[in-house]
This record gives sequence, structure tokens and C-alpha cells, in this order.
Amino acid sequence: MASEPADAARFRPMRLRLRGRLGRKAAARPRLLPWPPGAPAPLPDLAERPAAPCWREGRLLLPVPADQADPPAWNSSAWDPPAWERAAAAALPALPEGTRRAVLDARHLSPAQALALARGLALAAPGGFRLDLWHDRPEALAPLWQAERAMLKAVARARRWVATPANRLTPARFARALKRLERHGIAVQVLGRGALERAGFGGLLAVGGGSAHPPRLVVLRWAGRLAVPPVVFVGKGITFDTGGLGLKRGAGMEVMREDMAGAAACAGAMLALALRDSPAPAAAVLPMAENAIGAAAYRPGDVVATLSGRTVEVVDTDAEGRLILADALNYAVRAFRPEAVIDLATLTGAAITALGHHRAALYGNDPVLAAALCAAGEAVGERLWPMPLPQAGDAALDSDIADLRQCAPRDPSGRAQPDAGHAAAFLHEFLGDDPPAWAHLDMAGMVGEAARGEDAPLSLPGGFGVRLLAGLVAARFEDPHRI
Amino acid sequence: MTDILFVKPALPRSGALVLPLAEGFTLAGLAREADAATEGAVTRALEAAGFKGRKGQICTLWAPGGKGGHLSRIVAIGLGATPDARTAEAAGGAAWPLIAGDPEAFIATDGLNAALTAAFASGARLRSYRFDKYRTREKAEDRPKLVRLSLASAAPSEAKAAFATLSAIADGVFLARDLVSEPPNVLFPEEMAERCRGLEKLGVEVEVLGPKELSKLGFGAMLGVAQGSAREPRVVVMQWKGAGPASDAPPVALIGKGVTFDTGGISLKSAGGMEDMKYDMAGAGAVIGAMAAIAGRKARADVVGLVGLVENMPSGTAQRPGDVVTSYSGQTIEVINTDAEGRLVLADLLWYARERFRPRCMIDLATLTGAIIVALGHEHAGLFSNDDDLAQKLLAAGAEVEEKLWRMPLGEAYDKLIRSDIADMKNVGGRPGGSISAAQFIQRFIDTREGHVAWAHLDIAGTAWATKDGATTPKGATAFGVRLLDRLVAGHYEG
Repeated sequence: MASEPADAARFRPMRLRLRGRLGRKAAARPRLLPWPPGAPAPLPDLAERPAAPCWREGRLLLPVPADQADPPAWNSSAWDPPAWERAAAAALPALPEGTRRAVLDARHLSPAQALALARGLALAAPGGFRLDLWHDRPEALAPLWQAERAMLKAVARARRWVATPANRLTPARFARALKRLERHGIAVQVLGRGALERAGFGGLLAVGGGSAHPPRLVVLRWAGRLAVPPVVFVGKGITFDTGGLGLKRGAGMEVMREDMAGAAACAGAMLALALRDSPAPAAAVLPMAENAIGAAAYRPGDVVATLSGRTVEVVDTDAEGRLILADALNYAVRAFRPEAVIDLATLTGAAITALGHHRAALYGNDPVLAAALCAAGEAVGERLWPMPLPQAGDAALDSDIADLRQCAPRDPSGRAQPDAGHAAAFLHEFLGDDPPAWAHLDMAGMVGEAARGEDAPLSLPGGFGVRLLAGLVAARFEDPHRI
Repeated sequence: MTDILFVKPALPRSGALVLPLAEGFTLAGLAREADAATEGAVTRALEAAGFKGRKGQICTLWAPGGKGGHLSRIVAIGLGATPDARTAEAAGGAAWPLIAGDPEAFIATDGLNAALTAAFASGARLRSYRFDKYRTREKAEDRPKLVRLSLASAAPSEAKAAFATLSAIADGVFLARDLVSEPPNVLFPEEMAERCRGLEKLGVEVEVLGPKELSKLGFGAMLGVAQGSAREPRVVVMQWKGAGPASDAPPVALIGKGVTFDTGGISLKSAGGMEDMKYDMAGAGAVIGAMAAIAGRKARADVVGLVGLVENMPSGTAQRPGDVVTSYSGQTIEVINTDAEGRLVLADLLWYARERFRPRCMIDLATLTGAIIVALGHEHAGLFSNDDDLAQKLLAAGAEVEEKLWRMPLGEAYDKLIRSDIADMKNVGGRPGGSISAAQFIQRFIDTREGHVAWAHLDIAGTAWATKDGATTPKGATAFGVRLLDRLVAGHYEG
């Protein structure tokens, strides 16, 4: 593809070949030997199972978690796919440098186990890595791998968007990139500045006003086959966040090119649903803007009329995410009357202070949806933690001049504020008079260098949320007989 | 000091009259008599004000006159649709500021049962707290004048008995509020330990350990914090043996952080808001208050309270960032930030508590991290626990007494944040997930070598002090934890 950037190879999904037996050439490749506890040593003269992967004469001994029931029961607590994925990912640094192709000897594993290991490798491997998956029943694995590939492709796409620098991924170019999803059967609608002005997206226009690259709203629709209201994803798409007039400090600002990771995750999830032809109708509403400093930038103290009609006093131009989400959520609720609406955003530093880089903060108004999201997150190793939505009547968002203010002003003596909770309470105000089930994921801790520690979700960098949302839809919204 | 009495229903001729009314009420009993005596003024006022009896709704009539005599005011207070102990208590709290200006007030609780009547009285009493000992020029008219608060009840003796229990708990709350409110030059470790001795008259065994005993025991982590201050540290052990000699159940252990003032030490805090740090002993205050409540109402349970009292000061003898200290458990700690001192105090106390008392469960309370305020604000305290059952009990107890908790996660990934290059651990894990890594630190001092022990840690940094009035909590020290711990013991560890 001519328009592909030079580094696109980094984001090429792993190629996998299923094999029932190994040829001479494949037999000579580096081979991964999974070793569950209690199983006989896969190589002779080995007494003890190592704690970490270890390389030995062309073979990589790969300790994997305890043995499972076969097939693993869906509710068996013994079956922990993320632990298997992680075990496989840990093997990569133990391979000789420059290894681009390896054989996974999964003959004694169940299809689910073999796939979990392959998936872990695929998520962690460098672009273009190739794997020969050696299994007794390759024909049983083939259809399952097709579904995995769809997911991995979607994760790779989200990662590429997130990694693309902000000069190459402006709102217009991000929108153009998403337009290409039409080839997968997703309807794509792009609203430019004029359309946004006519419709009254005051929050999005205010935030995007300071930049030479005007804002966009992208709406993705996947029809599905079920005659039910769609589930709608809303993703924050700030292509770069300087903080605006409330300018951020220089150190670490480069991470702000990832401030559109919420939108990337939502679009990635839509792609995953389309690639595996999900029966569930879904949509994504993705507000995109660059929060820049400019002659037309919005100011602290401005009052903005949002799409909902409610007026908002701007307190901090660096709390821009909630303004564009307010418009997008309001649009999502009115345009789709959704069964559920879920927004993803790299929203607040407070969420990082609260939960660190190991869990994203989950707020919402519906315990059932929240529980389903938590379960979906656990299943793919993208872990969430429910946080309390501040009660209505919390004076923190009361404004003297407008219907509400965007955030609480900073305390002059530096006392701490629960800003993640305030942001969630703010968003809650824009769901309309009869709010649908709603969940808000503050995933600020899931971007940037700091998030990439040893216990980070394997979909990092850049892919957080894709598997979570697609998994949620599969578990909760695809059953036509659900109540 | 206000006398609280429970009397047979009879309309008063003077003072303030309070009518607690549930949603969808029809005036009955004393309320109806009051309406008749004022020639329908009550009915007219309630209608004009749109009073429906909703929770928190208030309507005041001044000097209603008529045959009512010289009532100064009649106050209607909404109880909501289904009045329970919580709404009755909140209504009592809401009533207090409206009637405190009268020498006498009468509450028409004749429509409520004895338990709710007692709860109403308790709410008023809890709200009546004020810390005014350092106001030397306050005018009499600015002080509350209420001398006698009477509550109508069909069964006055029953209500009085129920109130006696609630009143003992309120005494514990007041004690904790006093301790937390005291300025740090007045309340330092030695003085605070001395005040714990006051619990002896309730039957609590009080034992005070000074620096000599502590260094002999090897409380290295706690003594490291204390070494910068001219004030000596203390550990106070309080034992309430209410279960009786027949019981062989191990005690419940309550452990409190008592940093009487926290400057941050060499890692000095910024000046803005440092005065708040006088309440860095609120965890210990809550434990002491809870012991007073539990002993005061003669709980049939064995409960032991331990508080670690220190002042964290920068000085020539202060602990430095980079120091390595050996805790009572034998584990070594690299002190990265001297302002993360609370966990050092708790470390030694928790290990000691388990070793000495073999408790059935351990609950520590501490104003531990600013991060918990960022996470949960001032509505909920953070709950960390290694035991789902204990966590559930605490969540439920907190909901019952309006001291709300929110469970926060623990996990190995967070534990890795406190790995040290030269010692067993370091005392801070960085800003991200700061409250969680603090809890992980504390968990390393729960000795499970001889089996599981249920433990919970409550980070009360956001709930120990209120900047605005609450229903039963005037602004200032909240004593958060006293009622929660008392309720936990009452609900699960007695009898």
C-alpha cells in the first residue's frame, strides 16, 4: 500500500501457520516447549521446571500456569487465559536476538491453551513475527484462529493510530483513516467544522478552536443482524493535548500524542466486530480535536453552550476531554437511543493517582453493565476497578454563571481533589433525562512509557480497550434471547 | 451541656417545638394538638411552604401564638417516606441548629417508636458538638443556649435505655473529636497517652510504652520517625475484656496511626495547608474513641486497641531519606520519603499486635495518603483488605452509620512498586496508585506465617476532617471510624 507510512511493518500482525507435523526446515527453527507444572520434562536430563523461560540448545523451555480441565469450563477459576498469554509473552526476550520465526510445540495442549499462548506471542511480538503452531489437531484450531486474527488485526490497527505522531494524525487525517473502515462494512460519517457548527457542538468546537487543524466528529455504524438498539462506544480523540492556555509543563508532553487512545480503542473494537461479522448492532461516536494554543483558543472563564443546550463554565482548558465527550455522549444518546453507552478516555491524572498503571477506573450508573465490563476486562487482562460516582448535589461542579462548571478550581493551598470522580459526574449530566445504561472508563494510566511495566496488559502500548469492548459485546450483546 | 429527657407526650407551653413528619403525613398526636392550639397555623404554614415531609425538608414558624402559649417556634422536619434509625438521626442532627438558640426544646416524637426516638436524640447530640475551649471572648448570645431537650415517647423508659447505649457511643465520638481538634502544641504523644489513661475509669486496661520499652522491643521503624522530634513517642495498648471469663474467642484488634503533627520531616511538606496535619492522628483518635464507646456501653466482646503516637519533625536528629531501618518484624525498610511515616508506625504496631494478641481480625485506621483523596474525595474512606468476609462486614457497618467505605484493590503488581535495591522494601511506591502501594506496604506487616488473619486497612485521609457541616457532624473533626468500629463489634463479635 503506497500511502502506508514507513514504520507500518511494526504494526503488521503476527503470521501464524498451523502444522500437524514439522518438515525438515521447520524442525530446525527455534522451538518453544510449554511446560505445565507436574508434567514430565520436555527435554531429557532436566530435573526442575524453571521459574522463567530458559534457552537451551535451540529449545526454549516455557513454564506455563497449572494444567486445566479440557476443554476449560467458561466459569472455571482455574482457567486464566491472561496468565497463559503473559507466560508466552515472557518467552520473547529469552529467544536469541533477531529471531523472527519460531515453532510452538503445543501438541499436548488443548486448543484453547495453544491459542492463548499464540495470542500472547502475537500481542507481544515485533511486527512481522512468524509462528508455526504445531498441534495434533490443526483442523480444530483453524476456525478458532480466524476469530483470533480478527481481534489481533483490530488491536494492531488501534496501536498504529495511537503510535502515529500528532503532526501526522490530525483530526482530519484520523477521520480519513477511519473512512477506510468502510471496506469492512462499517458505515462512516464524518462531520467537519461547518456541520458541527450547524448542529451546535459547542464543547467540541471550543476545544478545537485554538488549532490550525479543525475538529471532526466521526460516527461509525455496524448494522449487525439483531433488531435491537445498538451498543454505542464513545472515545476521546484529542490528537494532541498541549493543555491549551492552561499549558502543560514540557516534561513528558510528548505522551499527549496518545490522548486519542480512547477513540482508537473504540474504532478498533468496531473493526473487530466487523471482521468477525458480529450479529450485534454497534456504533462509535468519536469526537476529535487538537487542544492547542492559538489566537482563537478557548479561555478559562469562557461559557460554552454544549450540544445538550446546557451551558458550561470553562475553568481549566486542560480539562478538555470532558467537554468533547459531553457533546459526543449527548449526541450518542439522542441519535441512537442505545441499549448501553460506554465511553473510553485518557481523561485525568487523578485516575492514575488512584489506581496506578495496572487498572483503569470504571464509573457508571448501571451495576450490571459495570460487572459485565469488569468481567470482560479480567478475561483479557485489561483490568478495571469500579469507582464511586459522586452523588448528585455535590457542589464541586456548581457554577456562579453557567448551568455547571467543567471541573473544580484548583485549591490555592494545593489540597487534593477527586478530579476523576468530578469528571465522571460531569459526563453523567449529559446523558439526557432518561439516561441509558452508561459506563465511563478513565484509562489515563494505560498510555505512555510509565504504563509499560512488566505487569502491563499485553495490548499495550496503544491497544487497550479493543479486546475489552469486543469481548463485552460477545459476552453480553450478541445473544438474541437476552432480556 | 444539654440535658436530654424522654417524657410522656404533652404539649409544651414555651420554648421550641419540633414536629418530625414522614412523607404523606396527616397531623396526629402532638402535632395535631399543636395545630389546634395555634388555630391551624401549622397546617397553613406547611401548605404555604410546600412541606411534604421529604427527607431534609424543613419549615419553621416563628412565635405561632394562639392558645399555644409562648412557643418561640415550631419546626417541622421531614423524615422521608420510610423513617428508619438513619433518617431519624439525620433529622435530629438537622433539628439541632434550629433549636439550639432556645433554652428549652420539645420534640414531638410521639409517633415514632422508642428506638427511633432515641436515634433522633442521638442525632441532635452528635450535631451539638463544638470545640470552643480556646475561644476566650465569645459572646453568650453566640453560644447554644439549649439546657433541656425533651423528647415525647409513649415508652419513655424504653427510649431512655436505648439512648443510654447511643449516648455512650456519642461519648466516644466526642472524645475522638476532642483529640483530633486539639492543636499540636497541646496534644503531643505523651499528652495523648495521658488522655488514654482516662479510659481506665470505663474499665479499660491501659498500658503505655515509652521510648525505652520501644527500643528494647525493637520498634525500629516507628522510632525512626520519632527521632526528629523533641517529643518522645508512645505506644498505648488498651484492652477491653467484655466477653467474660467463659469466652475463649481471641480479641478484635484495632490499630491507629497517631502522628500528632506531621511536618513531613526532612521531606518537608509545602506550607499551604500544613496546619491540617494536626489531624494526622485521627486514626488513633478513632481507635481511642471506639474503645471508649465499646467500653462505655459495656460491649460483651474482647477488643484491644493499639495506637502509635509520634511527632514527625525535621531536625538535626531526624531520619533522612535513604536511611534503612529495621522494623519490629525484622524486615528492613529503605526510607525514601520521610513524609511516608504513617506506614512505618503501623508496620511495627501491626506485627506486634498479631504476635501479642493473636487477634481474630485486625483493622487499622490511618490518615495515610493524599492519593486516597484524589481517588475517593471526602465521601468515602478507602478500604483495603485481605479478607472478603471482613471487608463485607465493614462495608455494611459503614453504610449503617453513614461512615461510608469504598473497597480498593490490592495485588502483586502493586506490591512490586515498593521493591528496594538495598532493603526488603522501600516506604513509597510513587504517586501512581499511591494509596494502594501504601496498603501493600502495610500488608507486608501482617504476619501470616502461622496462617491467615483477616486484616483491613482504612485510609481515612479524606474523611477525618470536614470543611462543611454534615447531618450529625459539625464541620471540623468527624471522628470517622468510631461509630463504624463500634457497629462492627456490635454486629459480629459480641455474645
